[in-house]
Amino acid sequence: MKITITDVHKRYGDVTALDGPSFEVPAGSTFGVLGTNGAGKTTLFELLVGHDTPDHGRIEVGGIDVEQAGHRVRERVGFLPEHVGFPPSMTGREVLDVQGRVRGLGDRAIRIDEVLDLVGLPDDADRPVSGYSNGMRRRLGLAAALLPNPPVLVLDEPTAGLDPRGVGTFHRIVGRIDRESETTVVLSSHVLSEVERLCDEVAILHDGSLCATGSVDDLCTETGAGVTVRLQPADREQLIDDVQGFGMVDADGETIEVTCARDDTFDLVTALDSDLVERFEVREPGLDAVFHRAVTDAEVNS
Amino acid sequence: MTHDASDEQRIPDDGRAQPDGGYATVAGTAAPDGERAGPRQVFAVAVTEYRLAVRSRWALALTALFAAFALGLTTFSGASVSPEGFERTVASLAVLAVYLVPLAALAFGYDAIVGNEEIGWLHALFALPVARRWVVIGTYLGRAIVLASAVVIGFGIAGVFLLREFGFAGFEVYVGFLLSTIGLALVFLAIGVLLSTVAAEKTHALGLALLAWAWFVLVHDLLALGVTAAFPLPDWAVSLLVLANPAGIFRALVLGALGAGGDAGFAAILTEAGLSAPVLTVALVAWIALPIALAASLIRRRRL
Repeated sequence: MKITITDVHKRYGDVTALDGPSFEVPAGSTFGVLGTNGAGKTTLFELLVGHDTPDHGRIEVGGIDVEQAGHRVRERVGFLPEHVGFPPSMTGREVLDVQGRVRGLGDRAIRIDEVLDLVGLPDDADRPVSGYSNGMRRRLGLAAALLPNPPVLVLDEPTAGLDPRGVGTFHRIVGRIDRESETTVVLSSHVLSEVERLCDEVAILHDGSLCATGSVDDLCTETGAGVTVRLQPADREQLIDDVQGFGMVDADGETIEVTCARDDTFDLVTALDSDLVERFEVREPGLDAVFHRAVTDAEVNS
Repeated sequence: MTHDASDEQRIPDDGRAQPDGGYATVAGTAAPDGERAGPRQVFAVAVTEYRLAVRSRWALALTALFAAFALGLTTFSGASVSPEGFERTVASLAVLAVYLVPLAALAFGYDAIVGNEEIGWLHALFALPVARRWVVIGTYLGRAIVLASAVVIGFGIAGVFLLREFGFAGFEVYVGFLLSTIGLALVFLAIGVLLSTVAAEKTHALGLALLAWAWFVLVHDLLALGVTAAFPLPDWAVSLLVLANPAGIFRALVLGALGAGGDAGFAAILTEAGLSAPVLTVALVAWIALPIALAASLIRRRRL
């Protein structure tokens, strides 16, 4: 189910939360929304599920205008809010049963068992939520979002506050959903490596505006992020002279970093004098570089 | 990954998912009944609230509170004034109830919305295809059943003892008191839910609830008495002053039924004001409906 966001503006008092981002989330993709704190990610998600309405612009989920039919959109969207929680005295199964009743699900018991199994909570389903770890609560939230077999899954900071093991479990679940279903997954995160690992495409927001959108590879090309070669010098001065001309040289730290075009990487590495270099490391351009370049450019332009 | 197939092609005609081991992409196992689902959703939320209140021992605590005070008062008032029937005991219980029941109801209701928001449960509910007003109404109804049950059982225990002592003669007075007390409880629960809807934090809601209790139970009647003593008000203005306070309506209902308007503060002027029992009952129901209607409307503006 495709999501289309068109020139969406939203203000809260004097604060501009969203300033006209426009982009599309392709049907069946896993899409990451990135941004610094206050970039507008959560506001965008609130508008996306119809919790609020834009001052201007339009959001469509599967062709349905969210402003006109937020209720219908939420029938098709499984949403995991950032601050979701559950009454401590309820069991995981009861939480899902209530959600199923509100949604009007048929065959609730079967479906609840399925999603509990999917998120790895079948053995804890009948324990009170008060005994759950933070990671288990997030997984229960994901189970609730998955309960209606939604064509769209919206996850707001799904791994915030989780320990590395919890993050890994969450990644496996989302990865499995991505591989084995046609669900469109939209997630926000501060963890760039997480988005890079899980998402097909990303949108980068800054101060409510869209800085960049597209696949990570395309963005690397568009933003000019190059391959970085990190060198541990044996003879620092001579090595700096040798690498000049291959790209941008940063020799401020203990190591020397040369950022060059992908096509020049081989030439640079083969031109290195082994007596001058103790060791070297080649880093492909990643979302980290893309994100920082996009945000820096946005700040300069503003 | 990206797929080209249109969304509509993946939605079965009956709109329901087939068991698929986890996550088949269909438009929903949810019944696509939109706004028509309201009553079912209200029921689901109400049942949940009821269960949570019972588990948290609120139901037990409220029942014990009402029973203890009612039994204590009936015992001691019976010993000291030698009651001649239900009427004198009901008069004493009404004086107690007008302070105790609003306080208990506000304490039970002030965190209904803001408390659920603070634990994240409101976020979970609002993520569902449910109109927010149904969540408010369901929350109120679930708690209302708990509170009404506590009033019936708590004050009912005292009623059973009175029944043994006085027999059925005049028992209808006690039943009238019980029904009026339920009304009073539900009014202040509704006010509590309204305050919980507008408050940003639980502590704010608690402060507002205490202010509401002080205004309706302590201040309003004193002010009204002062105004009526200082100025010659027409009957309609006096009626309005009574109807502007649900605690006053409760006093008027109970004490009016006893014919005890003479020594009950502001209720003394009820006879002159011409407030009949049906009018007072309708006013009490309005005091339930209006705060809940307001809360159901204001919840739409609440930002989580």
